[in-house]
Amino acid sequence: MFARLRFAHDLRRLGKAEEPVLARYAAAEWPEAGTPVRDAPLLALDFELDGLKRGAHLLQAGWTRFTPRAIPLEHAQVHDIRSNAALDRQAVTIHGIGGQRASEGARLREVIAALIADLAGRVLVAHGASIEVEALQGAAKALYGARLPIRSICTLMLERHLAPNLAGDGAYRLGAARARYGLPAYDAHDALGDAIAAAELLMAQLTRMPRDTTLGRLEALG
Amino acid sequence: MGQEFAEIARFLGSAAPFNLLGEEVLARISRQVTITYFPAGETVLSAGEINNRLMIVRSGAVELRLAGEELTARLEPGSAFAYPSILRGGEVRNTAIAMEDTLLYQLSGALFLKLRKDHKRFREYFVEDEADRIRHALRRRESGAQGMFDTTQVDSLLRRSGPVVCSPQQTIREAAQIMRERDVSTLAVCDDTGLVGILSDKDLRNRVVAAGVSGDHAVREVMTPRPKTLPTDASVAEAMALMAAGGFRHVPLIAADGALAGVISSSDILAFLGSNAIDAGLAIARADSPAALVAAAARIPESFVRMEHQGLGPAHIMRFVSALGEAAHRRAAQLAEAELGKPPVPYALVVFGSLAREEQLVGSDQDNGLVIDDTMAEGDAAYFAQLGGRISDLLNDCGFVYCNGGIMAKEAAQRLTAGEWQRRYTDWIERPDEDKILRATIFFDMSCVHGEAALVDSLRENVLQRAAASSIFASYLARDAQRSKVPLGFFRNLVLESTADGEKVFDVKAQAVMPVIDIARTTALAHGISAVGTADRLDAIVRAGKMASGDAQSLKDAMVLVNDLRIRHQAQLLAAGKAPENAIAPATLSPLERDHLKDAFAVIRGALDSLRRNLAGGIA
Repeated sequence: MFARLRFAHDLRRLGKAEEPVLARYAAAEWPEAGTPVRDAPLLALDFELDGLKRGAHLLQAGWTRFTPRAIPLEHAQVHDIRSNAALDRQAVTIHGIGGQRASEGARLREVIAALIADLAGRVLVAHGASIEVEALQGAAKALYGARLPIRSICTLMLERHLAPNLAGDGAYRLGAARARYGLPAYDAHDALGDAIAAAELLMAQLTRMPRDTTLGRLEALG
Repeated sequence: MGQEFAEIARFLGSAAPFNLLGEEVLARISRQVTITYFPAGETVLSAGEINNRLMIVRSGAVELRLAGEELTARLEPGSAFAYPSILRGGEVRNTAIAMEDTLLYQLSGALFLKLRKDHKRFREYFVEDEADRIRHALRRRESGAQGMFDTTQVDSLLRRSGPVVCSPQQTIREAAQIMRERDVSTLAVCDDTGLVGILSDKDLRNRVVAAGVSGDHAVREVMTPRPKTLPTDASVAEAMALMAAGGFRHVPLIAADGALAGVISSSDILAFLGSNAIDAGLAIARADSPAALVAAAARIPESFVRMEHQGLGPAHIMRFVSALGEAAHRRAAQLAEAELGKPPVPYALVVFGSLAREEQLVGSDQDNGLVIDDTMAEGDAAYFAQLGGRISDLLNDCGFVYCNGGIMAKEAAQRLTAGEWQRRYTDWIERPDEDKILRATIFFDMSCVHGEAALVDSLRENVLQRAAASSIFASYLARDAQRSKVPLGFFRNLVLESTADGEKVFDVKAQAVMPVIDIARTTALAHGISAVGTADRLDAIVRAGKMASGDAQSLKDAMVLVNDLRIRHQAQLLAAGKAPENAIAPATLSPLERDHLKDAFAVIRGALDSLRRNLAGGIA
């Protein structure tokens, strides 16, 4: 309840921003909390970062708009992001995106603008959504000096809700959670692949919940 | 802007027929996929619904339920469905239900139609009906076999001992003596400069003996000068083409250094195509003792494997194997007669089933009997008992093992006079019941392999007349044919059988070949058609106007396809030293083979349905 008020408040403040992409975001038509999730406009997002620490740099962003009925890939996007920051060696090894490729990526501003434009009027979906939410808000703050209000559904929190008694954190990882719904194993660590994987997981999770489950209920899970 | 939807493109690239499209096209398509998810039990498409999307199973399993029937097909990851409705521009005929939690990739109908328009192989895969699809597959298979002639070097067919030559100045007589000594039918004629001509048996016949030319003349005067040659690395196909175009039977082969390597003859090429079978047949026909016959018959499996390796089509292979089987049966009877003395009255050795249809493969048991002349005296029975026993025993030693059902000359029930056989057939035809028909169908494919053929001919003529006149008989046959469980696809558990060690398999003979044989036999008998071979029967049925030629062609194509698979399977088993059988594990098939098989199944099921509608109605 408080989060919803906070979102509305931040959105009103954002409406006064001069940056057109933020103004459009604020003016977008946002779904009611009572909307059934299956009809809700969503956006699955994954960032590949150069580290797990707060303030880590964005290396790649992948996202796709969808509703839980279907994920059309027509408008899906994936971008490598230019970054001059020294890369955290370990993270780079995991993601396979080296300094060379990162420096050739699209400028952070263009990518974030495109992402915010697509996210307008949509609820963000990610596995461990707080990371994407914080990284996007951090980038918006750095680029525009504004606080970007974001609504989100975390498939990891939802999975903890649906299958509360599994042993170990490993059981709630994206791949492990997907396997429980008969979803195929994907090559991890490609931003778009992970975004699609999270979107598919949400579709699957919803089939285990009442058909009229509302957007607000899932947002409230965390 | 990197736009790789790598995961999806990779998956499509592994699924037929998308694997026929290039990487660039796949990358483009991957961006137009829509992903949907259906939990187990949920309906994906309902019959009657309008559909405009091509569906591809990404994970899980979908079951297609054919409208109004109990039949189902199980679609596994990589299978595409729902395209017939796009091609028809509308209504879905089969209800599709997720059997497991299922992830589906969908493509728009517009994109599907565009892919079909732009890519020939893709279009061929999705042609509207299964029959066309089999036809396309067969055409590709045939061109594959053709490839063997294109890739085999012609000099590999040359006999090892180098070319046999003479000089143009030698006399014709000397040349003929060389040919006799070296046992060759052709001489290469060479002088200091190299090859100048060839001299063949045929030249001696036509240009010397028939023309009255003296053997004292020089070879130069009668040889074929300046023959067309080929380099040693030319293909067999080139040599065949050259011979066919020039109308000659011999082509000298010239090595890279200009030296004559040998002369290849048309019979060398024929030998390459199937000499083994011919040799084995000769050895069987000439076997002068039971031991020699057993040794000669032991070559049949090897001939079979060789023919398969050489890429011969299923129809040819079955005909060759049957010819060898027939020769072995005939020789067994001749050797038995040699032991027991001349038969007291005329008789015929008749074979039933696959051998009669000329559709035999290796490892079949024996199905035969004796038709004895009605003049047989009571005391003659002992002779025929001994004869039948000897024939069956010999055949058993030759690899045509005893028949489980007792359909062999060893059994008194299969040694009848012509009149007794006639009464037996009449009973089946005029007083059929399910049980009788179940065991009798094999008798309606019969052929005489030795002895008094007229005995079998008149029996068969009579049987045909009675069968055609009895609609109740045809209806029993048609109903019996419905017992075969033709799969709809590859169910994980349902239609497949378990082998001793629990592996899921399908029986390509019982579940795909037998139904086609049954359809052809039933329809032929119902209309008094005398042909015995399945393809021959189908052709005759078309000529009699009892089946559309397209339907018959589709059935023949389906038969070729499943027999091809079966022959390859058995050749592999034999090459590995195992006994040939018909159980195929779907996991060993390529996705494309599975798809073609599914199409063949659809054609066969459709034909079984028509058979039931047309002929099975006579039973109350």
